[in-house]
This record gives sequence, structure tokens and C-alpha cells, in this order.
Amino acid sequence: MGDILEFFEQMGFMNMTYQQGIMLLLSFFLLYLAIKKQYEPLLLLPIAFGMLLTNLPGAGMYHSELWAAFLDANSPAYHSYGTIMREGGLLDILYIGVKAGVYPCLIFMGVGAMTDFGPLIANPKSLLLGAAAQLGIFLTFLAANSMGFTEAQAGSIGIIGGADGPTSIFLTSKLAPELLGPIAIAAYSYMALVPVIQPPIMRALTTKKERAIKMSQLRPVSKTEKIIFPIAITTIVALILPDAAPLIGCLMLGNLAKECGVVDRLSKTMQNELMNIVVIFLGLTVGATATASSFLDWSTIKIMVMGVVAFGCGTAGGILLAKLMNVFSKEKINPLIGSAGVSAVPMAARVSQQVGQEENPSNFLLMHAMGPNVAGVIGSAVAAGILLTMLG
Amino acid sequence: MTPLAINWSHVWLVTGLGFCMVIVLLVVLIFILKLLGAVISSAVKAPKEAQPKAIAQTPAAQAAPAATSADDDLAAIAMALHLYFNGVHDVEPTEIHIKRVERSGWNSKLYGMNNLHR
Repeated sequence: MGDILEFFEQMGFMNMTYQQGIMLLLSFFLLYLAIKKQYEPLLLLPIAFGMLLTNLPGAGMYHSELWAAFLDANSPAYHSYGTIMREGGLLDILYIGVKAGVYPCLIFMGVGAMTDFGPLIANPKSLLLGAAAQLGIFLTFLAANSMGFTEAQAGSIGIIGGADGPTSIFLTSKLAPELLGPIAIAAYSYMALVPVIQPPIMRALTTKKERAIKMSQLRPVSKTEKIIFPIAITTIVALILPDAAPLIGCLMLGNLAKECGVVDRLSKTMQNELMNIVVIFLGLTVGATATASSFLDWSTIKIMVMGVVAFGCGTAGGILLAKLMNVFSKEKINPLIGSAGVSAVPMAARVSQQVGQEENPSNFLLMHAMGPNVAGVIGSAVAAGILLTMLG
Repeated sequence: MTPLAINWSHVWLVTGLGFCMVIVLLVVLIFILKLLGAVISSAVKAPKEAQPKAIAQTPAAQAAPAATSADDDLAAIAMALHLYFNGVHDVEPTEIHIKRVERSGWNSKLYGMNNLHR
């Protein structure tokens, strides 16, 4: 009889708090969004499942108290990966890759191997639009400070405006690891909602005539240029801003493997197997950080609100700069491509194309928007490097 | 942390300087990309312009009208197309018939099969 009672006492149902119950319901909702609505399912599904696993009472797969001790300078477990390996669960061990900043960089390698920087090389002015779209990051940093977050936390919240999941996770794991769960979920949720968030801002800031502007065809880009591009960008950015080197270096390594044409096996591995494995680990562990104690907090709601502000400001920044460029430039550009400066590749470029075609069905903006879009990836990585240098 | 405890001068510095640094760094990259494009396009144009001069300097080229590599390419493509389209189909008899069966590429499998005797 005693054994039966002990068995019942050890059941998760008996030990579950109402907060954990809420988190489980939230994970079910995110799983629904990933599977049924297909909102960024490749990432949202493992994140939601990680959230489910970490909030199961008694499962012991992730221990937030171990990671708190890891960050506490007075604890014997301070910066001790050995303690994590010895006492941690499966998700604790996988989380080491996030903590060490390994997974976001490996994902960037895959992103680089899948990205064609041709439209950016053909029209280097796109980089300006990619830079302007980072306005959201810095305005949100300012707003988050005024809402009571520390500077490091505000920087991590601001980076949501870069619309770049790996960059957000990389910076947050360095500056404010306690906010990793809400920030990652906000970043990926809003990236999935780009087609909902951006069009009203795009229509509000442009006239019908501007939206109907047709752009001239991009020049062809030689293979030599595509090979030199990643090498040049890595060298220059890393020399100017060493903190951005891990992200930019991995992005460009992946791109070089794709463009040089002599390491097809490596390029395919980066694009497929490596990328998929890392996405599973990253999603699961980021979801695991969303424990009831850290997630069910007013700061999470504030982060969600700040995330929308960041996205909106970034979109507006790109569009307004495109309009400004039209004042000084002979060759007009369609301001809609400015909104693609928030990275979210290729979703933001597709949104530019769709909104442009609503006004003029014969207008094809996709390739023009891909320039600012990939520039946004570089821009957000650079912004992350700057925030890390100034706040880290 | 209350808003009063915030070091606003540092916050404004990070905001202003940070955003300006992003812009400046990417403007530097624009110049580098433009330079790269200019250098590579000039390097690609240079050999094309130099090639006819080099051919003209050889005695054989001076004696006979030079066939450029583009002409050779066109001739090779035309020959390949001619051979391809002439060899696509067998020449088939145009009569429709039942009994007489000619061996051709279309029915050759029939002649390689044996009837099963049970």
C-alpha cells in the first residue's frame, strides 16, 4: 500500500503547479500554431515541444536553478560546464550549445549556404536599406530602458527588431540569458507574422504612385564577384567589429562553400543535415528555457509589446530611407523594398512583392527586395556585434 | 530598476552611436562592393578587347580573314542541332497495315521473346 501511495505521490499530476499547467496549455497552443497554421513550423514546433518537456513536473530534463548557479559568481558551479554535465538533464546538456553561442553560428552557416547575395552585389545601395531597418533595434533599446529593463536586457529586447532568430538568441545568451525564452519566442512569432505586421505600415507610409514604381533589371553578377564577396565582407567586418565575427564569419563561410563550387558536399551538409540537427537542438533548448517561473511574468508581456514596436520601427525605417533616397537619386526605387531590410529572409521580400503587385500586377519586386533582405541579415549581425561591444 | 536610476546619457550614447556605426559600416561595405564590381568588370572586359589584337599580330591571321571563336561556336552548335534533329526518329513506313511487320526500333523486343510452351 505504501508503494502505491509513493507511486501516486511521484506522479506529475500530483506535483503540478497551476503555473506549469498554464505553460503546458501555452505549449499546446504553440504546437497548434506550428502544425495547423504553419507559423514558422521548423522552429516553432521544437520550441513548443521544448516548452512542453521543461514544464512537465518531475521529468528533470532542464534545471533552471543549475543555470542560475552557473551565472552566479559566488556559487561553486560558476561557469562550470562539468557541473552541468554531471547534474543536468538531457536539455541542460543540449543547452550548452546555446550558452556557448555555438548553435546560432552553425545556423548562420546554413543560412549563408542557402543565400544568394547576387541581388545585393548587383545593387550595393541595398545595404543602406538594410542598415536603416535596424532603426527598430535601437529605438526599442531606448523604449525598453524607459520601461525598467537593464541596458543589457534592453539590448536583447531591441534585437528582436532585427527579425533574425539566431542573432536574437546569440545576443540574448550573452547579454541577458534570463530572458532567452520570451525573446526567442517573440522573435520567431513575429517573424512568422511578418505578412500581417508589415503591409499596413507599408501602405500607411507610401502613396499609390510610389508603390507602383517599376525598377530596372539588376545587372548580372559574375562568379568571381560572388566568391570574393564573402571573403571581403568577413575580413572587413571582423576587422572593424570583432564581436560580430562569429555570426558574420559563419554566414560568409556557408556562402563561400556554396559559391566556390568545389566543396558541394560541405555546402549540402551545411544547408541540410547540419542545419536541421542544430535547429532541433536550438528549438528544443530555447523552448526549455521557458519555464513557468521565468515566463509567466510581466516582463514577458512587455517583451511581446516591445517586439511589435521593434518590428514596426524597423519596417518604417527601411521604407522612409527608400523614400529619402528617391529624393536624391535619379533612378527611382520602389520604397516597398525598404521594408525587406528587416532580415526575415525571404518572407519580408515576398511581402514587398505582394504589396507591390496589388498596386501594379506587372511589377516584380522580389529580386530587388532580396537585396535589402540579405543586407538586413548582415545589418542585424553588425548591430548585434555593436550592442555586444557596448553593453557586454 | 526605476527610470530615475537609468544612466540616460549612456543609453542615448548607445542608441545614437550604435545606429550611426551600423550605417557607417554598411556604407563602407557599399563602397567596397562598388569598387569590387568596377575592378572585376574592367578585368573581364580587358581580355575581350585584347584578343582580336593578339590574333591580328600572327602571320596566319594577317593572311586569311580570321574566324572568331564566336563563329566556331555557332558552327558547332548548328552542326550539333542538325545531327540531333536528323537522328531523332527512325524512318517509318507511312502505310498502315496489319499483317506485314517490319523489324524496327519500335518492335524489336517482340523478336527477342520466346513463347511459353505449357
